[in-house]
Amino acid sequence: MAEQLRIALAGNANVGKSAIFNQLTGLNQIVSNWPGKTVERAEGTLHYKGFTIRVIDLPGIYSLSTFSMEEIVSRDYVAVEKPDIIINVVDASALERNLYFTLQLLELDAPIIIDLNQVDFAAKKGVKIDAESLSKALGVPVVSTVAITGSGISELLSTVVAVVSGEKKLKPLKARYGKEIEKRLPVVEKLVNDNLPQLSAVYPARWIAIKLLERDTDIVGKTKNYENGKVVLDCAEKSADRLEEIHGEQSSVVIASERYGLANKIAKAVTIIESPPKISLEQKLDALTTNKTLGYPILAAVLAAMFAVIFVGGNYISAGLEYVFGILTANVENALSQLLPQIGVDLINKGVLSGVVAGITIALPYIVPFYILLALLEDSGYLPRAAFLMDNLMHKIGLHGKAFIPLMLGYGCNVPACIGCRIMETERERFLAAFVVVLIPCAARTVVILGLVGRFVGLYAALALYAFDLILVFALGRVAFKALPGEPVGLIMEMPPYKRPSAKNVLMKTWSRTKDFVYIAFPIIIAGSLAIVALNMTGFMNYIVNGASPLISGWLGLPVLAGIPLIFGILRKELTLILLSQLVPLASLTAVQMVVFSLVTMIYIPCLATIAVFTREFGWKKALAVTLIDIGLALLLGGIAYRLLSL
Amino acid sequence: MHFRNRRRSQTHDVQFNCEATSLMCLCEGEKGVIMKAEGGFGIVRRLAEMGLTPGVEIKLLRKCPFRGPIEIEVRGVALALGYGVASKVFVKQLRADSNG
Repeated sequence: MAEQLRIALAGNANVGKSAIFNQLTGLNQIVSNWPGKTVERAEGTLHYKGFTIRVIDLPGIYSLSTFSMEEIVSRDYVAVEKPDIIINVVDASALERNLYFTLQLLELDAPIIIDLNQVDFAAKKGVKIDAESLSKALGVPVVSTVAITGSGISELLSTVVAVVSGEKKLKPLKARYGKEIEKRLPVVEKLVNDNLPQLSAVYPARWIAIKLLERDTDIVGKTKNYENGKVVLDCAEKSADRLEEIHGEQSSVVIASERYGLANKIAKAVTIIESPPKISLEQKLDALTTNKTLGYPILAAVLAAMFAVIFVGGNYISAGLEYVFGILTANVENALSQLLPQIGVDLINKGVLSGVVAGITIALPYIVPFYILLALLEDSGYLPRAAFLMDNLMHKIGLHGKAFIPLMLGYGCNVPACIGCRIMETERERFLAAFVVVLIPCAARTVVILGLVGRFVGLYAALALYAFDLILVFALGRVAFKALPGEPVGLIMEMPPYKRPSAKNVLMKTWSRTKDFVYIAFPIIIAGSLAIVALNMTGFMNYIVNGASPLISGWLGLPVLAGIPLIFGILRKELTLILLSQLVPLASLTAVQMVVFSLVTMIYIPCLATIAVFTREFGWKKALAVTLIDIGLALLLGGIAYRLLSL
Repeated sequence: MHFRNRRRSQTHDVQFNCEATSLMCLCEGEKGVIMKAEGGFGIVRRLAEMGLTPGVEIKLLRKCPFRGPIEIEVRGVALALGYGVASKVFVKQLRADSNG
């Protein structure tokens, strides 16, 4: 029997945990260059020297306090589920800040190994870390790695095994605080031990005492739940009051200062500065792209260039593929009609084949270039810069700059963007951000906008739709911000350095996203196409069409058949265009109809997957409310647009 | 020495003594030592956890116009702070010639 091991990857945001995870497990956890990308823990398994090792990639956090959801999740994972080993991934180029987190892991009595990652990047900055001294200072093994190339990974694994088998002993540093704190800690610690046996069975008593002195809301709340909790709390509160009196700061700041003092001391002792930092190309780029006057035009240019590339490239590829597949399907139809009765040919041809062909020729040409560009944006580190520039504007809708990141991701797909809203700190802001995210035209809606309006009406009309959408997002965001009670939170965000995106990572990310798209979208497209053929054959189509006709053709001015794609569009947004193309020749639509159809598709309902993830994140009531608001809004705006544009 | 064009930023009616000024009052490239952060419990704690503890030296890297955010360097890391957050962080300004 192979021995089972559980190891967790923990550390600050954006230090390369996911890259290490991929190297360890051979999986393709998405790797990017912006803090807060991993919001859901990923799991993978590997086999090494007779061990079956389960690896868990925890979200990146700066502290084990309770500022964000991720921090509580990670803290409880470490403390409650007690993995056999925690690999603390540390960014060698920002050692001091990373050690602050390491010290907290040590306080939790967690069995840790330090993975000193990005040593190549530190070397570029002229900094070398003496791994051996660091290991001595902390009393735990330190392994240097470069996650992207995989260097040091096998040593990391052998160290894990050496620690588990007892070959290597951990003698973790017991961090001592200053006199004023250490005088009070043992008193509280003893009270915790005596009065809270259940709690101190999970967390170390000294750690609980520290958290109580810091007035950590989660631990204070847990303590209150116990009968004797009040005794402990009273004592801790008095001690914290006294500390605050002496230092003139809130107690958590006093404790954080001392922890940082220690982190600074260790970092200084083990850092060897090999060459003075030079101003690198990346820094020049950084200065240029966040420049107070040039930054905004550059941001606008980057986004415009992105859409231009997608539009031009997409149109070109789409037309080419359509030509090829047009010939192909005609041949297939000919061949089939000699073998099968007409009804079979119709089912295969109209149901399966034309759905697949439409998916390939209409959807993929826009989606693949989009994913490539999005990956480039993510990996370069530009997203946090864009967030920085947009902070001001985002405050107008009650959010801060960080919300711009899920918003940008929303152009790719609303589903990860909704989950990505977890980088916002409070529940209120998460919801506000997600509310506007679902209005962002995702790649599927881009397919409709560019593939219909862009191709047949013109680029400017398509751009106008995007611009209108942004105005709508802003206006609705502002209304929601005013309607929801609560205080907006300010921006506190790490700015990761620029990095040259690796071609391999970009392609892998594009491939895995495209694969997801094909696997999920194509079956739905085929099912949708088959359903339409079936509706047509059975005659049910007429009932639906007639029933919806006052709304579809009367109010929105669309061909009556357009109601069908809009109903099926709830499954996938690009399905609207694909089914429409099977029901009505696209070129026969008027420009106004194309614009109205795209506008309605853009707003009218988040797709099924988005609704599902929205429900999971915020509950079904909010999901339902947002869905209804969006449907109402789309019909209202569609009708108005029809009337205005027909003038 | 030429006069430095000190824009007293938009922090209007607040009177600062010469010791402690708001982070927003630093110019790009200027350094300071953190004295105190004000604001809610959570924000002050988070700032400390991100390394902005009393006594630490910071450098203002850049400011965005129109009450926009600022970017500072603290403990070897670049950090973006919103206007509202940054205007409640008080620093003692370091003379450009006294420290590097």
